Amino acid sequence: MAVTIDGSASVTINSGAVLGITSGTAVASTSGTSIDFTSIPSWVKRITVMLNGVSTNGTSNIQVQLGDSGGIETTSYSSVVSRIGSTGASNTTSTAGFLINNAITAAGTFFGVVQITLFDSATNTWSCFGTSNSADAANSGCLFNGSKATSATLDRVRITTANGTDTFDAGSINILYE
Amino acid sequence: MTHRTVVNCETGQITQVEYTAEEQAAYDAAVAAQASAEAQTESPVVEVTNG
Repeated sequence: MAVTIDGSASVTINSGAVLGITSGTAVASTSGTSIDFTSIPSWVKRITVMLNGVSTNGTSNIQVQLGDSGGIETTSYSSVVSRIGSTGASNTTSTAGFLINNAITAAGTFFGVVQITLFDSATNTWSCFGTSNSADAANSGCLFNGSKATSATLDRVRITTANGTDTFDAGSINILYE
Repeated sequence: MTHRTVVNCETGQITQVEYTAEEQAAYDAAVAAQASAEAQTESPVVEVTNG
């Protein structure tokens, strides 16, 4: 039997997985302390978080956290972000989330891409890497990576700040998953 | 009230979820603690010399 894929619709396979990349819904990051993308399908093996001109009202670093049916998990991350700019380099680590920025300014807006990939489905272990800019006077760039095992199958991601209290005030965020 | 934004990937629906009273209390306490820490950092240093 011949199978024709004409590109007019997504294609699913027996497990329910959609072949190709699925886009989430872009959301304005102009208020609130966090942005959650929920109901991510269980078959997903790679998630790309994209930040476009994002800003907060404070100087706390931006971070991405993973979650499952039990909620967002805030411990046991292995995360490091390296900031490289004209004023030198600095590293910051965290166990509370994947840091994606370092030493930002409240006035700065930044752009970044975060890729989260399933390392081992048996242990729900995810790897993270990506780049962002700090949009500060030193025009710094940030490289980051990390690892985290969720306690159950991942179904949500959260973008928030390390202190949890700074508020988003500009930009937009979206995800892709596949 | 403080809120978070939630995007449901299944439906595409975007909602703003207000903090519960418990979350709001924790948020207010964290903000107060940060303000207190910043005030201590910004306090002028008084140098005392003997003689």
